[in-house]
Amino acid sequence: MASVTLENVTRMYGAITAVDHVNLKIKSGEFVTLLGPSGCGKTTTLRMVAGLEKNTGGRISIGDNVVSDADKGYFVPSERRRLGMVFQSYAIWPHMTVFDNVAYPLRIRRRPDKEIQDRVMNALRLVEMEQYAERPSPALSGGQQQRVAIARALVFEPEVLLLDEPLSNLDARLRTQMGDEFRQLQQRLKITALYVTHDQSEAMALSDRVVVMHGGKILQVGAPEDIYRRPENRQVAAFFGTPNLLDAKVRDCRPNGGQYYKLDVEGQGWSGECHAASEMPKGADVTVMVRPENLQIRETGTVNGGLSWSGEISQAIFRGPHRSIMVKTPAQTLHVETPSLADVGIGRPVTVAAPSDAAWAVRN
Amino acid sequence: MTIIHNRSLDDINDTTPVLGGNAITRAFSGGSLTRLIGMLLLILILGFLTIYPLSMLLYGSLHSTPPGMAGEFNLNGYRSIMTTQNLIVLVNTVGISLAKTIPSLTIAVFLAWIVARTDTPFRGTLEVLITLPFFIPPILTAMAWGMLANPQVGVINMAWRWLTGAQDPLINIYSYGGVIWHMCQYSIPFLFLFMVDAFRAMDPSLEESSRMCGASRWTTFRKITLLLMLPVLTSSFMLSFIKGIETFESALFFGLPAGIKVITTDIYEAINHRATPDYQYATSLSFAIMGLMFLLVIAQWAILRGKSFQTVTGKGFRPNVMELGPWRWVTFAVCVLFFLVTVVLPVGQLLLGSFFRFFGFYTYDMLTLEHYRAVFSNSEFWRAVRNTMMLGLLGATATMALGAVVAYISVRTKWRGRSLIDGMAWLPWMMPGMVLGVGFLWAFAMLPGPIPIYGTIWALLLAYIALGTPVAVRVMTGSYHQLSYDLEECSRVHGASWLQTLWRILVALAWPAFAVGWVLTFFGIMRELSASILLYSVGSETLAVVLLKLWANGNAEQVSVIGLMMMLLVILFRWVQLRFIKARISKL
Repeated sequence: MASVTLENVTRMYGAITAVDHVNLKIKSGEFVTLLGPSGCGKTTTLRMVAGLEKNTGGRISIGDNVVSDADKGYFVPSERRRLGMVFQSYAIWPHMTVFDNVAYPLRIRRRPDKEIQDRVMNALRLVEMEQYAERPSPALSGGQQQRVAIARALVFEPEVLLLDEPLSNLDARLRTQMGDEFRQLQQRLKITALYVTHDQSEAMALSDRVVVMHGGKILQVGAPEDIYRRPENRQVAAFFGTPNLLDAKVRDCRPNGGQYYKLDVEGQGWSGECHAASEMPKGADVTVMVRPENLQIRETGTVNGGLSWSGEISQAIFRGPHRSIMVKTPAQTLHVETPSLADVGIGRPVTVAAPSDAAWAVRN
Repeated sequence: MTIIHNRSLDDINDTTPVLGGNAITRAFSGGSLTRLIGMLLLILILGFLTIYPLSMLLYGSLHSTPPGMAGEFNLNGYRSIMTTQNLIVLVNTVGISLAKTIPSLTIAVFLAWIVARTDTPFRGTLEVLITLPFFIPPILTAMAWGMLANPQVGVINMAWRWLTGAQDPLINIYSYGGVIWHMCQYSIPFLFLFMVDAFRAMDPSLEESSRMCGASRWTTFRKITLLLMLPVLTSSFMLSFIKGIETFESALFFGLPAGIKVITTDIYEAINHRATPDYQYATSLSFAIMGLMFLLVIAQWAILRGKSFQTVTGKGFRPNVMELGPWRWVTFAVCVLFFLVTVVLPVGQLLLGSFFRFFGFYTYDMLTLEHYRAVFSNSEFWRAVRNTMMLGLLGATATMALGAVVAYISVRTKWRGRSLIDGMAWLPWMMPGMVLGVGFLWAFAMLPGPIPIYGTIWALLLAYIALGTPVAVRVMTGSYHQLSYDLEECSRVHGASWLQTLWRILVALAWPAFAVGWVLTFFGIMRELSASILLYSVGSETLAVVLLKLWANGNAEQVSVIGLMMMLLVILFRWVQLRFIKARISKL
């Protein structure tokens, strides 16, 4: 297995910059996900690692070998990079059987027949498709095609596995199942994986680290929990789910004993405590992020510690597992998720509260 | 449609629904007398256009005298075609068609790959230029090449002699090579048109995944691209081969003078070039060639059954374009060379020929405009222009209207008899123009007295409609298939009647296909020679017929003038088609 290093990697299409000075190091055996809205440059980045697209600037290395250096005009074509790749459309060749599809990388490398037979069947067993080996590939369902595509990508034990939205063409139930299976497989084989998706929950469930991209740039790199709970800026905060983002001013700032800082903040008609990654001067403008599932609804009254807002319930939507409640406060309307059992009455005055460790402030 | 169970009676409307809409909508939406009459009428029209000439062909082949004369029934016709000489004709026909199909296919694949999958400069323009020869009537290029590569006075051979001092000509167009070369000029753009979209529409990740698996570009092309294209290649091959057997002009111009006979020219000769026309022989031969075509079409079906790979997934593709570096100018040059040889050279020859007193004597003092004057003051020319334009406009409109109706019924309805009319409309596909011409010759002659079609311009019109219908149906079928039922159903749900829906949704969305088909049919009529030459009579000549007559009289200079006029028309129509219709299609 090998690491992947991107240094100042840039891709221009004419005057448009699709990928802008991306720096990223993927450790050997690590599962890293590139996450972002469509057009953020994540697929282009992946294709540059694959060698399907040339980077117009910067350097890409796989393991200890440089595979592309734009300044030196050095470029290793895809077929010599020893990578495995799973495409969004799976790209299963319709004129071959399942076996032939998986055997292709080995046949190209002219391995002996015996070895091909063994390794293909092993790869198919890995994805539980061995009984389909002689099927013509057009006769496969979406999930089966995806398994074959993974088997084909793994059969010659590539240095790195690249995956371009491989789950996006599956239905919701199958998507979760395939994702879990895929993560298990990756951990068992300890293979380095670079994964592209626009699905946040997929990215969080699968990856060791998530790379959030926007407009061709990396916004934040970190473990899923860090990205979700402790975003570095407002854009990353807004990217996951539908958080409440409140404008506030810093009144006081002190270390909380750990690696973060505790802030006293004041907004329009509310005040309270929250956490932040860095020390902030008094009077600084910040955005406080509170996720709907961390807010609680209480009877009116004062709350000690954390944050609280008083307001009245303006809307309640039953969603099955939970209830979405909109609470109108002087600052803004807050989105609260409560257990669906809780009883609500529209127009009822309530207090919305959050513990201080559920609120995270970023500089504007 | 989902069925909702456990629905209580309260949910159902209290009032019983009444039949809405006017009589016509009801007639077309439910089974009724009007629809029955409509279908019968359609079957009658198609029967007259296809089944009738076909059965007259059988009748004529067994009948000892020319059409319209009393005679007896015998098998003499079939006996007379069973000769060694005709075996050679058959071998010639099949051999020439194979000999032109293989190189044409290779070149067309190469050109399609250049245009669809490389970064060759000006690919869009090149695509238009490469397909242009297909739209030029073959008779024009045949005559132009007759002048260009005539062994004695052809421009190419004169230039060769002048350059090298050699006595022998460089090329002789009156040979097997000449026949094949002329056919290739049509096959290549035809096959190119047929394949270029298949090349373009292929999911690029199918090839990229091969590269990721360690295969080089060339290996990927061999093992993935070509094999995925195999169904398209096979059907192109069969189509081109069938078309090759039907071809008339190439063999007429370059084969007959050299004594090379194919089936179509043999039929033509039996009727037009013998002291007494031998109709029974010609008709028997026509029926026999139909048998051959039938076998070929069956073979085509058998080969292609279940062999089409759905490589188009409807996802937005990034164009997978190969960067050729400096080689892209080589591929560019290849495309330009093809255009130069197939269009510029023949058209240049026509231009040259039209300005000199005698073709072959290109000196300054021979320059003249007299041919233009002669042509423009020739009433026969103007009559032919009028005839051709009228036949083209009427014929294309009628053919497409018929095709649109037949395609609609066979694709969009579940009416009884729809496979019958679909099959009838497809029949002429197996009939070369020459064969259909012979069939109609009999068909019109055998009509009862008060219907005077024989020898009029209507005879040509009916033959053209019959010849064009299979393509018209195909074009419209393809277009209807692309329009989802939802669009129609949505319109009905929102309150439009069947006819309103047909007009406002289906016609509005399908008209670009109709227009494309119309232009194709128009071109088809303008270039048609083999049926016309049998069915025309004095007063109903088309331009192609006039050209052939002038050529036969040795009047190559006036031929050049008329040829140029037709060429202008071709370019004008092609330009209109590309400019307006294509633009409209791409918007949809």
